[in-house]
Amino acid sequence: MTQRPCGIMAEFKTPEALIEAVRAAKRAGYTRLDAFSPFPLSDLAKELGVRTSVIPWIATVAGLVGAAIQYGSQYWMNAVDYPLNVGGRPLHSWPAFIPASLIVAILWAGAATLIGLLLILRLPRLHHPVFAVPGFERASEDRFFLCIMQDDPIFDNANVRTFFGGLSPLAVQEVPECG
Amino acid sequence: MTSDAQAVTSRVADVPLSPHFGWAWWLALLASGGLVALLGYTLISVTIIGVGVWGVNIPYVWGFDLINYAWWIGIANGASLFAATLVLRRHDLRTAVNRFAEGVALFAVICAGIFPIFHLGRPWLFYWTFPYPATFQVWPQFRSTLTWDFWAISTHVIVTSLLWYVGLIPDLATLRDRAKRPIVQRIYGVFALGWRGSVRHWAYHQRAYRLVAILVLPLILIMQSTVAFEFAVTLVPDWHETRQPLHFVATGLAQGLSIVLLVAVLLRWGLRLGRYIDEGDIDLLGKLVLASALVSAYLYIDEIAAALLSGGLTQEATFIRMTGEYAGLYWTAIVYSVVIPQLFWFRAARLSTVGGVFVGIAIGVGIWFDRFSIIVGGLQTDYLPSIGRGYSPTLPETGLFLGTIGLFAALLLLFVRFLPVVSMFETRHDEHEEKSS
Repeated sequence: MTQRPCGIMAEFKTPEALIEAVRAAKRAGYTRLDAFSPFPLSDLAKELGVRTSVIPWIATVAGLVGAAIQYGSQYWMNAVDYPLNVGGRPLHSWPAFIPASLIVAILWAGAATLIGLLLILRLPRLHHPVFAVPGFERASEDRFFLCIMQDDPIFDNANVRTFFGGLSPLAVQEVPECG
Repeated sequence: MTSDAQAVTSRVADVPLSPHFGWAWWLALLASGGLVALLGYTLISVTIIGVGVWGVNIPYVWGFDLINYAWWIGIANGASLFAATLVLRRHDLRTAVNRFAEGVALFAVICAGIFPIFHLGRPWLFYWTFPYPATFQVWPQFRSTLTWDFWAISTHVIVTSLLWYVGLIPDLATLRDRAKRPIVQRIYGVFALGWRGSVRHWAYHQRAYRLVAILVLPLILIMQSTVAFEFAVTLVPDWHETRQPLHFVATGLAQGLSIVLLVAVLLRWGLRLGRYIDEGDIDLLGKLVLASALVSAYLYIDEIAAALLSGGLTQEATFIRMTGEYAGLYWTAIVYSVVIPQLFWFRAARLSTVGGVFVGIAIGVGIWFDRFSIIVGGLQTDYLPSIGRGYSPTLPETGLFLGTIGLFAALLLLFVRFLPVVSMFETRHDEHEEKSS
């Protein structure tokens, strides 16, 4: 996503209308689209080409790294750096090192996934130009919005407005110039 | 201009946004606040004077500290397990109870965490369990279950609170957008992190949320087992059993579910959320509670069977726990956690508010007595002749226990007051699915 998401935004009453609008926009050749909805629309995300497959990778890699660090540090501390003979038991008692390794793997995977999520979404970002659109507060309640960004190669203010007009939206508004 | 989706939002969102909340909430907060003050007092006294203010001594080195720790962990894990399962099953019930099941888990684990830290005797040195390069050049002993527990508790606190918060972000955005007063808008706005409902954001959010919910499942099984290992690895005949983790996990689940049911019933009644936590949800939850009570019953039978098969001192230890000086604890556990829940065979009992509160509390009480029976009753028989003194909790210990209940209640009350207890975006999503199908 660009740092300048200023464009023209249309408001719709139902998710079906929004999905239709996205399809129409893609047919019309627009590529820089963002849709806003009060609940997850997985079909629409697919339509917009959102690929979330990085999330499980973050979890897997972070989990493996966490487990390796935990196991390694347990081994190094208890078998190498500070060997303590407890009733003649082996210093490298690997079964005893497993529970904490699994737990720490989950800690790393969980924390990395959720913190990574915020980084991917570039949140927190308290101000965003779309918030300036009148009525946009209902994007968190019951309204659906489609925005065509200004940096779209075929963006043209009048054309976009005509295009939206053909979709019978509730309103068509400009996302104010940022900065 | 009000649509169905907006109606959902306002019913749930009006609760945290309303400027007045009634005297009952204030009264409840005042009562739990009093208990939190008691908690503060008992914690200060044990810090200044030392663990001598508790009734523990050889051989009863673990009293209320471990009983209540194991009890709160049971609630936390049971509630977490339930919430995670709902998310994974994409069950309808998820919308209604998932959010506060996670809340229950988070608040319970906070209460649980207090005990191990303060039972150290020098709570300000608790960080010694963390492997850091200390000047005296020793490292924690990782072959001990107690160090595993340090990781388990801290992981549970961090992962559960992150999961709970990330799940809340879209609903915080709704509250931000609906709030009328600028100060309220700002507060919710900051915590909503600027969520704007982009479809792309939703896709990532849902994927990450579900993935971490999966991760919570093994975590709580390992964590509850770790608590059980702390008993199983000792040489105390009644504790030194491989069945211990299963016992703690399964009875802990029963207890977690019962507390979720209790909170669900109270919320439904107190906040009039009957439409979002409907009869079907409560009925299903009641059936789950009944099923988990039957699993507890099976484990109590297994306990007897294991004792009969083992013979010797182990057998003697189990039977002394059931018939000896502390037999009352054992039988109270059986009555409260197995017998009373049988009421839930009747649909009317499952659906009634009184029935839900009664059985919810009963299982909580029952499992508390089970932990008491294991930790204190289980120590009566040992390979060494016992010193012949018993264990009874002192006032500061009782105060500590009541204090954590107060802390739990206070956190729950604040949660109910300031945050949406039912996931609004999931309810919107479900209602839309229903309409279009």
